[in-house]
Amino acid sequence: MLLIHCPYCEEARPEVEFVYGGEAHIARPLDPSTYSDEQWEEFLYIRSNPRGRHHERWRHSHGCGRFFNAVRDTVTDVFETTYKAGEAKVKELGK
Amino acid sequence: MAETGVEIAEIAVSAAELKLGTEPVECAGVRLSRAEGKVRYSLRARDPAVLEGVLGRQVPKKIGDTDAGIACLGPDEWYVVLPDNFDLPRGEGLPVSVVDVSSRALGLVLEGPGALTVLSSGCPLDLAKLGVGRATRTVFETVEVVIWRQAEDRWHVEVWRSFATWLWNAFIAAMHAAK
Repeated sequence: MLLIHCPYCEEARPEVEFVYGGEAHIARPLDPSTYSDEQWEEFLYIRSNPRGRHHERWRHSHGCGRFFNAVRDTVTDVFETTYKAGEAKVKELGK
Repeated sequence: MAETGVEIAEIAVSAAELKLGTEPVECAGVRLSRAEGKVRYSLRARDPAVLEGVLGRQVPKKIGDTDAGIACLGPDEWYVVLPDNFDLPRGEGLPVSVVDVSSRALGLVLEGPGALTVLSSGCPLDLAKLGVGRATRTVFETVEVVIWRQAEDRWHVEVWRSFATWLWNAFIAAMHAAK
């Protein structure tokens, strides 16, 4: 079982307490009515699906209940870091 | 099943046979009983200071801390277990939520030196590191529970009513297995 560090609880907690929430940092359009069908499709369905570092959302649903962001390697399953929702994207390792 | 030579045992217990006990059960140095507190509240507030103004008392700020019946479960969420006939002000018109959830959950209490072993049989969290006076929401097997360590060997477990019968019997099974 993985241990995931919750940035709100500030401790490592067992994986089964968490729910995966999809790719992070996807901004909802401010005015969706101006979007074409292609742009709307892009926003709704198209994801980066990388091999390697992936910014993603998780929710500590059986704990503090909060959504937060994580950087996880999709190959090794190693969590590089986790940070609170609303904080800036962690672009590179350690930055 | 004589033809194949394979015997399939009957299911040991069916769900219809499970009962939620009312009397304490003791086994393997563990005592399982129903908790006394019957009034429960769920409190939500983005700003704890507003909630404290409504309640007229302090609430714990750090997740996992408890104070006189109030446990901080999340950055904006608290859970309250109080004795009978306790009423909290609702804070009408203010940005807080004070909701009576007394009928939603039941409290079970595990006491004794083996209680930690019984809880750990189904809980993936390292409960030995949960200090006395701390509380957290987590899971027991697949059932969501709030575990509250009230003393070194006394654990209060809040569970939603519909899961309580199963949890009661799961605890008893774990107590027998620990014997």
